[in-house]
Amino acid sequence: MNCLIFAALVILAAVAVAGAFEPTKPVEIIVHSAPGGGSDLFARAIVEMFQKDNLYHQPMHVINKSGGSGAVAMSYIAGKKGETHTIGLFTSAVIFASLTQKEAQHTIQDLTPVVHLVLEPSVAAVKADTPYKTMKDFVEAAKKNPGQLKQAGGVVTSVDNMFRLLIQKATGAQWIYINLPSGAERIANLLGGHMDLMLENPDKVTEYVRAGKMRIIAALTEKRLSALPDVPTIKEQGISIPILTQSRGVIAPPGIPSDAVAYWENLFGRLVKTQTWKKYVEDNQQETYFLKSRELADFLEGQTKLLRGVLKEAGVKAVR
Amino acid sequence: MSRYLRAHGVFKKNVVAFNNLLFGFSIALAPVNLFWCFVGTFLGTVVGVLPGIGPAGTVAILLPLTFHMQPTTALIMLLGIYYGAKYGGSTTSILLNIPGESSSVVTCLDGYQMARKGRAGPALGISAIASFIAGTFGAVGLMVAAPPLAEFALRFAPPEYFALMFLGMSMVAYLTGESVLKSLLSASIGVWLGIIGTDLFSAQSRFTFGRPELLDGLDFIVVSIGLFSIAEVLINLESSVKPDLFPVPKGIKNLLPNMQDLKDCRFAFVNGSLVGFFVGMLPGAGATIASFISYGIEKAFSRHPEKFGTGVIEGVAAPEGANNSDAGGALVPLLTLGIPGSNVGAILLAALFLWGLRPGPLLIQEHPEIFWGVVASMYVGNLMLLILNLPLVPLFAQFLRVPYYLLYPVIFGISIVGVYSVNQSLFDVSLMGVFGIIGYFMRKLDFPVAPLVLGMVLGTPLERALRQSLLMSQGSLTIFVNRPISAILLLFSIVVLLIPILQAFRSAKSLQREANLA
Repeated sequence: MNCLIFAALVILAAVAVAGAFEPTKPVEIIVHSAPGGGSDLFARAIVEMFQKDNLYHQPMHVINKSGGSGAVAMSYIAGKKGETHTIGLFTSAVIFASLTQKEAQHTIQDLTPVVHLVLEPSVAAVKADTPYKTMKDFVEAAKKNPGQLKQAGGVVTSVDNMFRLLIQKATGAQWIYINLPSGAERIANLLGGHMDLMLENPDKVTEYVRAGKMRIIAALTEKRLSALPDVPTIKEQGISIPILTQSRGVIAPPGIPSDAVAYWENLFGRLVKTQTWKKYVEDNQQETYFLKSRELADFLEGQTKLLRGVLKEAGVKAVR
Repeated sequence: MSRYLRAHGVFKKNVVAFNNLLFGFSIALAPVNLFWCFVGTFLGTVVGVLPGIGPAGTVAILLPLTFHMQPTTALIMLLGIYYGAKYGGSTTSILLNIPGESSSVVTCLDGYQMARKGRAGPALGISAIASFIAGTFGAVGLMVAAPPLAEFALRFAPPEYFALMFLGMSMVAYLTGESVLKSLLSASIGVWLGIIGTDLFSAQSRFTFGRPELLDGLDFIVVSIGLFSIAEVLINLESSVKPDLFPVPKGIKNLLPNMQDLKDCRFAFVNGSLVGFFVGMLPGAGATIASFISYGIEKAFSRHPEKFGTGVIEGVAAPEGANNSDAGGALVPLLTLGIPGSNVGAILLAALFLWGLRPGPLLIQEHPEIFWGVVASMYVGNLMLLILNLPLVPLFAQFLRVPYYLLYPVIFGISIVGVYSVNQSLFDVSLMGVFGIIGYFMRKLDFPVAPLVLGMVLGTPLERALRQSLLMSQGSLTIFVNRPISAILLLFSIVVLLIPILQAFRSAKSLQREANLA
C-alpha cells in the first residue's frame, strides 16, 4: 500500500516537473536597440531588478540585435523557433515601423506575445515664452496661420506624427511636421525657438518645465497623469481622438510550449508587483499596464489596425 | 564707474569660478574618484585601441556596474572611457590603417603614411599630445563658458546645420588626388552609400536591396575598415608588389615628436581644439564630422597642402585634437541643459536618470559637485592619459617589427573581430569584405578613398538638414542667407572652395612669369 502511494507520488512529481517549465541555462534577452538605447536600458534595468528582488537566479544576458528599427531583432527571434531560453523586448515603435518595411521578413505577428509591461504616455510641450497655454490655443493659432507652426518630431511612422495627423483631422488645423532624428535635437530646436511644438514622454520634459523653459499644454492620455495632475488631457480640451500609446513588453520565439509562456507570464507578473518595479516606473514617469499573452495579442492587433488606418489617410505607403 | 563695476564683477566671477574649481579638485582628487578615473581612462584607451567596439558600447555595458557607485564617481569613470577611447583610437589607424573609432578614420590618411615612412613614433606621440592639449582645452571651455555656449548651440536649427555640413562637404576640395573628377565621383558614391537605409521623412527604404540589415544604413566604421585596412592588405598581397617592410624607428629620439614637429602642429592644436569643441556642442553633429572638418581646415590653410595624405604630422594632430576636444564640447549641452551632444552623451543622460538625478537646466545649480567634479576630473584624466599613452608609443611602435606574413593575418583577424563587435553581425563582416574589394579596385584605378568617406559621413546630415530647412521655409532657399550663422558659414565655405582655385591661378601665373623670364 505504502509502496503504491509512493509510486503515485513519484508519478505526480514527474508530471509536475515535466509540466512546469523552468530555465535550465542562461537566458538571452534580445533587444532591438544598440547599447544605451531605450530598450537596452530597459532590459538591463529588468535584469537588475530580477536580481535585486531574488525573483530569478539563472544568468540573463542582454543581446543587442539592432538594425531596421527592430526588423533585425524580430528576424533573429523568429529564427529561434521553439527556443524557450530566449525572450525579447518590443516597443510600439517596432510594430509601427514594420508597417512600411517591405524588407522585414518577420514582424511581431510571427512571434509569441508574452506580456505587456508599461505604457509611456506622451505630453505636448511648447517653449515657455510662447503664448500657447493649452493645446486648444495651439490649435487655434494653427488654424489662423495654416502651415506656419512647426512641430519637431521623429520618423513619419512615430507616435508624434500619428497624434498630429489625428488632431489635425479632429480639429481641421494644419501645421508642419519637421523630422529630426533624435530627441536631443528636438529639445534643442524647441528651446532655441526654432520649433513650436513637440510631443515627448513626460520624463524627458519635466526638468525643462521645472526650470521655467517649457510648458506642457496637454497630456495625450485617457486620464490625467499622476505626476502632472494640473495638466488637462487632450479630451478634456474638447479634442476627441483615439489615444495611441508607446508600449513596452516581452515577446518570445514562435512555437514555444504554453508552460514556458506561463512561466514568463508568472515571472513578470511577480516583477511588476515589487516595490523596486513600482519605483522604477514612477521614476521614469511610465505607467504599468500588465497584460498576459492572450490579451497582449488582441492589444497589438488593435493598435496595428488603428495605425494602419491613420497612415493610409495620411498617404504614407503601408506594405502590410 | 561702470567700467570699474564691470571689471569688479568679472573679478568676482573669476574668484567664484576659481573656488568652484578648487571644490571640483577636492572631489576629483579624492582617492576613490582618482582610482575610478584611472580605471575609466585605462579602459577607454584599451577600447580605443581595439577597432570596432567603441566608447558608446562600452559605457552602456558597464552602466549596471555603476548603479551602486556615487553618481559623481560613476560619471567620472564613464567619462574617462569616453575621452580615453579618443586617445587610443588613433593607434591602429596609424600602425595598421585600421581606424580604431569612426572619429579616427581621417587619422589613417596621414598617420598610416607616417608609419610607412618610419615615423610611427612621432605620429603616435603627436596624437597623444594633440589629444591632451585639445582635451584640456575642452575642459577649460566647459568650465569657463558652459551656460552661454549652450545658449549659443541652441541657435543651431536645420539651416545652420545645413551650412555647417556644407562647409564640411566643401572640404572635398582638399581631399582630392590627381584628378578632380575622380574625387568628385568618389564623393558622390560616398553620399549614395550614406543614403542607403530608411528615409527619415517618408519612412520608405532606399537602396536596401531587400535586406533588413540595410534598413538602418551602412555602418560607417564597417565601411571604413573595409576600405582602409582590408584593401591595404589586398594591395600588398599582390605578388608583383614586393612587400616593403616598415622601417622601424630606432632610438628614443625618433620615437617621439621633435621640436620641429611640435612647431609644425601649432596651428593644428588650436584648430583641432576649437573645431572639436564647437562641433561637439551641437547635438546633430559629432566627433567624426569634427575630425573631418578640422583636417580640411588644416589643409586649406597649410603652406604645403599638396603634401597632405603623404604623411604630414599636422594631418594627424588636427583630427586627433578635434575628436578629443569634442568630449568637452559634448558635455556643454549635456550638463547645462540635459541635451546630449553625442551618442555617448545620450547614454550618460540615461545614466544620470538611473542614478536618481534629474539632468536638465537645474543640474549645475542643484548638484554643483557633479559639474565641478567632472570638470576637474577631466584635467586629471587627460593628464593620466598623456602619462599612460606616451610610454606606450615605443611599445606600439615595436609592433611594426612583426614580419608581413604574420602581420596580414593579424590585420585580417583584428578587422573581422572589430567589425563583428560593432553589431554582432556576420552580415557586417561580409560587408567589410565587399568594401575591401571595392577599396582595392579604387586604389588600382587611382580613386581617392578620402572623399568617399567624407561623402558618407556628411551626405545624410546634409540632405536631412536641407530637407528640414526647406520644410521650415516652405520651399524658399532664402532661409539659408537670412539667418546670420548660416550665412556666415556658407560664406566661409565659399572662401574654402575658392582658395584652391586662386592658388591654382596664382601658380599658373607665376609659371607664366617664369616662362616669360626665360
